[in-house]
Order: sequence, then structure tokens, then C-alpha cells
Amino acid sequence: METNKSLDPRVQRLNIGAQNGEANIETHLVTWEVFHQEKKGKQAVHVGIVHASSPELALVYAKEVYGRRGKTTNLWVVKTSDIFTFTPEDEDVFNTAPEKLYREAGYYKVRDRIEAFQKRNKETA
Amino acid sequence: MYGNAYISPEEAKQMQSQQDDPKQLALFEARVAKGEKVEPGDWMPTDYRKQLIRMIEQHAHSEIVGALPEGTWITRAPNFRRKLALIAKVQDEIGHGQLLYSAAETLGKTREQMLADLLSGKSKYSNVFNYPAKTWADIAVIGFLVDGAAIVNQVINSKGSYGPYCRALERICYEESFHLKQGHDNFVYLATGTPQQRNMLQEALNRWYRPLLHFFGPSDKASQHSEKLMKWRVKLASNDDMRNQFLDQYVPKILELDLTLPDPNLKKNDAGIWEFSDPDWDEFKRVINGDGPCNAERLAVRRYAEEAGRWVRNALMRKEEKYVVPLA
Amino acid sequence: MNTATKDLLYKMADDAFIIGHRNSEWTGIGPMLEEDLAFSSMAQDKIGHAWALYKILNEQFGEADADVLGFQRKANDFKCCQFVELPIGEYDFSLVRHFLFDHAEYLRYEALSESSFEPLALLAKKIKSEIKYHTMHADTLLRQLANGSEEAKARIQNALNYSWHFALGIFEESSAENELISNKVFIGEDALKSQWIEKVSSIIDAAGLKVPVTENTKIILGGRKGTHSEYLQPLLTEMTEVLASDPNAEW
Repeated sequence: METNKSLDPRVQRLNIGAQNGEANIETHLVTWEVFHQEKKGKQAVHVGIVHASSPELALVYAKEVYGRRGKTTNLWVVKTSDIFTFTPEDEDVFNTAPEKLYREAGYYKVRDRIEAFQKRNKETA
Repeated sequence: MYGNAYISPEEAKQMQSQQDDPKQLALFEARVAKGEKVEPGDWMPTDYRKQLIRMIEQHAHSEIVGALPEGTWITRAPNFRRKLALIAKVQDEIGHGQLLYSAAETLGKTREQMLADLLSGKSKYSNVFNYPAKTWADIAVIGFLVDGAAIVNQVINSKGSYGPYCRALERICYEESFHLKQGHDNFVYLATGTPQQRNMLQEALNRWYRPLLHFFGPSDKASQHSEKLMKWRVKLASNDDMRNQFLDQYVPKILELDLTLPDPNLKKNDAGIWEFSDPDWDEFKRVINGDGPCNAERLAVRRYAEEAGRWVRNALMRKEEKYVVPLA
Repeated sequence: MNTATKDLLYKMADDAFIIGHRNSEWTGIGPMLEEDLAFSSMAQDKIGHAWALYKILNEQFGEADADVLGFQRKANDFKCCQFVELPIGEYDFSLVRHFLFDHAEYLRYEALSESSFEPLALLAKKIKSEIKYHTMHADTLLRQLANGSEEAKARIQNALNYSWHFALGIFEESSAENELISNKVFIGEDALKSQWIEKVSSIIDAAGLKVPVTENTKIILGGRKGTHSEYLQPLLTEMTEVLASDPNAEW
């Protein structure tokens, strides 16, 4: 390797040369889903993953990957395989929820009725 | 930091041969046309998945290889302010790599496999990182202009259709604004400094002019695969349009400091489009195929990192745990 | 009194600066992405601590500007221990150095948060929480590696054995030690050393590793008096290369 010609003094100091350069693709680190809480009173929000061997190390890594800028009050990590979700094929179970207006506050409008009532009362008074 | 994904003509040809269920495809395309985002578990065309993996992976590689040219000066930054800014900036590139590999992992390719493909040369990274950072002024040019170009690209791509990639890009763009600011600050200090500093900066600019024009890739307006990627919102602007936007934003910021660019034909025409001399696209292809000034060193250093760190990763592996594709 | 306090500030600042510089060399070439990020942040923290300490020297004692103190002193004016000067080596050494050094730092800043010298007490309270993360990182990774594979365990043990007498050099006493103690500026290196041995020994034990045996004659001293390893001068020459190329320039 011609890396002793490197412009980077760090690279000049590395013991480069013997590497065969094949990455190990047989094994993987476990991934952890990271949830970030910006401040007390706010929800923890999913922000991404880290690779780590244990929840403790996952937290240590998540702190720098997702908390090195801005405000953080806490982080949660959960092993990816411990999270359950609906499959995309089943996501249609949510389809009609927005149509069920009787569950929505905006569905209930009584102002017109009150005004009509008051008007009627005034007329009969 | 990032350069544009490069698709070779062979890859483009292969892309047109993939067959998907036409009904599913129509539904998918209708969703994307409405501006809906695609999430990891959703049905997607085979080529959509393939092209996204390729593109996000190239982007991720570009980040971690991109850390190396700037890393060249990490031990030599001249004061506290610059030293901390440079370390933090190079660190961010690694952080961006982490975010992008994670986004690509959601499509079903492991980080380990992606790194293996980087080291074997099977998968590419941005050409711009195959050029050396010869002096401290190169750090200013990279921090200001290469990052500036990357931001043009990334802001556009963050409006794409794949949810995890868009989310990673939004976070990245936020951090890039710090890169750009600190790069511009360094650039302005050199440009307004001693004759020696100005000279060093001008020479660095001359060196980086061509790689910067190459950054967005060759003109791709006419190609068919581009059309398909645009329809799927994997690609959102042509290479020429992005290059033009970059020149429009940054050339004035260079000229206002009485610096020059080494191209007598560089000018904005009456239609508002930047014109420039042919930046030698053969050189671009030579470098992308391995024959650039620093290709060998960049890969050798990544190989070293891979091998020297293997004992750490191996000790952290939990063989009893099955690998599960990350959620989002 | 001023001389003693200044001496304390210099050695702390120089330690933080040189180890921060060394550890920053890993940025971009660490063993895995997450570790790379964490190690780089901690290197930045250290350089930041040095900057803050040099500023105290500048503001409270009229010493030169922080950038001059960090980037323009001669090697024999530096008061760092030789441990921090050593090249980064392989990751096992860098990690073990970080573990040993940062426990000393945490205990030092904890003690200094009670210092009678107020500017230092204020800074110590702030820095302490950063260093708490540094030790958390070191302890977690050390434990996992020591229990992760035979190779990792052997590497960490070897690095511990190699580093031990260098690390004890952190606690080399200054000539004004008693003055600092009686004026309640600092509890003194000797007291710190006892706390440190107790702390790191319990963690090393719990990780299933062996605490190296201390031989007083083998402790690497000299750094606090300006005597350095062969590595400091080249480090400084490299670090100031850009600055030296045009000393009249603003960077």
C-alpha cells in the first residue's frame, strides 16, 4: 500500500498494509429503536436506531447519535425485535376511523339551535 | 455531505427489465403521485427498492469516506475554534453515515453487507472524495463549497417518497447548515487574510473547481431511467438543474471576495442558466472507476478501520439473537 | 498561592488538551459508527475543557490568550502527564486509557467543585456532568468487551497492564501540594490517587479482569515538571503546522 505517502499524518501512523479488506457479513449487531424526549412534559418520539450489544450500551450510543445537539431530557431504547406493529396488509383496519364523526368534537354544533331557541323565546315573550 | 448517485449505463439497462404486478404498481404510483410517503413494510416495485438501496447506500458511503479528506487536517487545525469545529464536522459525517445506513437497512440490506460492498468496490461513493485535501485551505473549500453542493442535493432529495430516507435527510440538512456556516467562516477568514492565506485559498479553489462541477454527475435529462426515478420520487431534479442551482447560489459568494474561478467560459447566460467549459467527463468516469488520485488510499483506510475494529464488533455480537430488519 | 493554583490549572488543561487531541485522531476511523461518534464527542469535550481552563488562566492570572497557551508553548512548558502523550495505538489501548484517565478526571472535578477557588469550582460543576458520561461510556464498553470474547478480554487486560504505571503518573505531586490542600483549593493528588485506585479496581474486578500490581518504582513521572515522552514534541509540531506556516495571520 502506498499510504505512507498519505497527506494525513494520522493515516501515516496507521499500520496499513496487512488488511485483506473483507468485511464480515455473517454476523450482525442487534439493533435498538431509539425514542427521544426533548423535555419533560413532551412525548418520547422515535428517531432511529443504533447498533449495540446491550440496552446499556445502546443508551450510551444513542446519547451521542441522537442527543449531541439541541435539548434532550431522556432517551428510551427498545430492541427492534421486541416491537410489534400492524402489517401493511392490515393497515386498512384504520381506514374508516376518520369517517366516524360522532367521535369528533367538531361534529357537535348546537350554536344555531340555541340561537333559534332564544329567538323563539323572545318572540313569544 | 454527498455527491449525486451515479448510475452506469449498464445498470440503467438492467433496470428496465424488472417486472412487477401491474395492479400493485398502479396503486403504488398513484400513492406516490399524491405525495404520500412509502414506509419500509409497504409494497414497492422491485426496482424502487433496488434503486433506493443503491442510492442511500452510496450516500452513506460518501459520508464515511467523505470524513477522510477533511480528517487529513484534524490534527492540524490552527486554534481552538477551528479545531473543535473541524472535529465536530467530521464527526457529523460519520453520524450522517450512521443515519443513512440505518435508513437503507430498513429496505433489507444489512450495514455489514453494505460495508462489504464498499470495500470490495462493488458499491460506489461520491467521486469528490477521491481528491486530496492538500492544504488547510482545502478544508475551507470543502466545508463551504462541497457541503454547499451537498445541501442543494440533500434538500431536494428530502422531499422524496421514501419515509426513512426523508427523515434521515431532514436531520442531516439541519446539521449541514452548521457545516456550511463554519466552512464559509473559514473561507472568509482566508479570503480576507494575509496574501499567503489568499493565495492558498485561490489555489485550493482552482483545484476543486472541476470536481465541484462533476459533483452532480453528467447531464441526465434525456435518460429513461431518470424519468422512472422521477415518477417514483426517488430522484427529484435533474443533475443539470441541481448544478445550476449550486452555481447560482455560490459563484457570487466566491466572486464577492475577489477570488476567481479557473474557467474563462463560466458565465450566466441571458436565460439565467450558467454556462461553463466542458469539465472533462472522461476524467469523471476514470475516477469513479477507481483511477483517481486518492481512491486507493480511501479504501485502504476504510479497510483498516474495518479490520482493526473487528475484534470490538465481534465481542459485541450476540450470536443467539436473530437479526431483524429495523423498523423505520 | 497563585503559583500553586496556576500550576494546577496548567497541568489539568494540558492533560485535557493533549488527550483530547490524541483521541480526536480516531474520528472517522473508529471500530464502528456509533463508537466513532461517542469517542469523538468525548475528545471534543476534553479540548473544550482545556480551552475553558486556559481561559481561566488568561482571565484570572493574566496569562496569555487561550489559543497562545494551547498552540504556542514549547514542549517543556507543558505540564501534562506522559500517559496522555502516548500515540493512540490500537483501540484497546485508547479505550483503556480513556477508562483510567476519565475516572481520575471525574474524581478530580468532583473534588474541585468544592474548591475555594471559585472560578474553578464553577467550571468543575459544569464539567463533572460531561465526564460522568465519559466514565459511563468507558465502564459499559469495558464490561461488555471483557465479557464478549476471549480475544477482547485478553486485549483489554494487556492494555490495562501496559497502561497502569503510566496512569499512576497522573497523580505526580507538585511542589506546592500542601499549599493547595491547606487553602482548600484542592484535596491533593495523594488523596485523589487513593479514591481512584479504589474506584477503578472495583470496576476492573467486576468486569472479571485483574487489577495490575502497583510497583512504585515503575510509575512514569516527570510530566508535571516538564519532562516528557518522545511523543510530545512531534505532536506539538504537527498540531501547530498550519499556524506556523503564517504566524501573523488570523485563522
